[in-house]
Amino acid sequence: MEESTDMKGKVAIIGAGPSGCYTAQALLKAAPDLEVDIIDALPVPYGLIRYGVAADHQGTKAVTRQFDRVFTRMNARFYGNVKVGQDVTLAALEDAYDTVVVAIGLSADRKLGIPGDELPGVYGSARLTRALYEHPDAAPLPDLGPNPVIIGTGNVAVDLLRLMVKTPEELTGSDLGPGPTEWLEAQSFQRITTLGRSPAAAARFDPAMIRELSNLERINVTLHPPAQGTEGIEGVLAELEGTSAGALPVDFMFERTPRAIHQGPDGLILTVDSPDGSEEIAASSIITAIGFASDGLFDAGTCPGVGWHKTGPTGALPRCREDAQLLATEILKGLSPDPARIGRALLDRLPDTTDFAHWQAIDVFEKTNATPGRCRRKLADKANLLTAPTPQDA
Amino acid sequence: MNIAILYGTETGNAEMLAEDVATELDGAQDTSVSSLSDIDPDALHGADLNIILCSSYGDGELPASAKPFAEKIETGKPDLSGVKFAIFGLGDSEYHATYGGGSMRLADMLVQCGATQLGERIVHDAAGGDMPEDLALPWATGIITTLTAA
Repeated sequence: MEESTDMKGKVAIIGAGPSGCYTAQALLKAAPDLEVDIIDALPVPYGLIRYGVAADHQGTKAVTRQFDRVFTRMNARFYGNVKVGQDVTLAALEDAYDTVVVAIGLSADRKLGIPGDELPGVYGSARLTRALYEHPDAAPLPDLGPNPVIIGTGNVAVDLLRLMVKTPEELTGSDLGPGPTEWLEAQSFQRITTLGRSPAAAARFDPAMIRELSNLERINVTLHPPAQGTEGIEGVLAELEGTSAGALPVDFMFERTPRAIHQGPDGLILTVDSPDGSEEIAASSIITAIGFASDGLFDAGTCPGVGWHKTGPTGALPRCREDAQLLATEILKGLSPDPARIGRALLDRLPDTTDFAHWQAIDVFEKTNATPGRCRRKLADKANLLTAPTPQDA
Repeated sequence: MNIAILYGTETGNAEMLAEDVATELDGAQDTSVSSLSDIDPDALHGADLNIILCSSYGDGELPASAKPFAEKIETGKPDLSGVKFAIFGLGDSEYHATYGGGSMRLADMLVQCGATQLGERIVHDAAGGDMPEDLALPWATGIITTLTAA
């Protein structure tokens, strides 16, 4: 990135998740005098870092230390509890700022698009993970029954599988809340299946995530079809199959294409095409982890986008950072600051916005009030997230 | 002493740590901070000491920003005798099969080209309770003290 400039200007970023924060970081590193305001519908920042990275992946969440500095050292401002389209219009933001960046991510589940994909007992991973990680707008966690089937062979599928298989001891150190913890303990899985269209050699799991499963006490993996080779991700899967010897069977099924779901007498029946022809798989519930999609509610107009909102639901933090840095360079090249624009005065007029100090108080509160075996106890209620916590709330 | 602080990062954590090390050493030393993606192996000769902060990514691999540098070493096989370096790794023990793999590979590569490694390769655990700088700053100043006294 180029050397720092004393360029002035006002940038609003809608979405305080990693894409928005990396964009702000890159902009302010290059142009420290910019006014950069990051807006979020939630009263707290960090988006999927807080509500999408798995509860037992605390190491991954450490990026927030970088983002903290964007607010505490680089002078970006956080405006939480602001719903664009409701509390303030996009048009008003575009008038007030020299550029408005859209970093709102993708919050809906991609549909399977097969008959029966909306039957009761079919759950999207976005819905499930939001509930597991205690997003304030989450729907309640459903009973998954004894033999859930996860459709998807990527990292979200593995996150769900791993959490479903972990014993209570294996969840020590995580921030999995009391509600989701109780829910997990109440599930009585007898068999978990994951399936996907690709062959094992082309599965999209990260090898590290599959290796991680070999630490789990309960897991007992079988690959269908059996591994054909020892290279790459297939080799890592085969190793997992070889070493896992726990009490809970987990079937990884590859080269299965879902065709239909229907209600059977004892639960759901998933019909798939397989290398051996059509198969019927019994499922007490079906979880789809096949990517995220836009909920279609926000029209970004001509505003530049960053992250999943722009690129689609693939890529993790490194891709997001790269994307944000490229966008920041472009923005700085094309910025024509108009001193007449009112910038943050627009947002300062809104009632009930929360700032970064508010998040810092919540962060301290959550860590201080962690339950045993947990590194924090999240405030899950929207009302609690809106009111600054005081010691007697513990 | 002229100290080059070099980082290999994926999510920016090693870059942040590099900047923190520079801030700590500034004043007492002549420091520069660069991404490994912006330098050639031969540039290592230019500093009295190269302090490298390197994360791991994927399957214990080097982070993307360190890969071009590693490729230049593998293909160019530069003579790095006389080069002094110290390396600090950033890892995540959740992935313990390959923990700290990135920094280990890089250290091995440099040593094989004749560079001298000073101090130990410490790996900070992102899943642990301490902050990377809690380990890295005393480690760096310790190595410099030893080098200066030598």
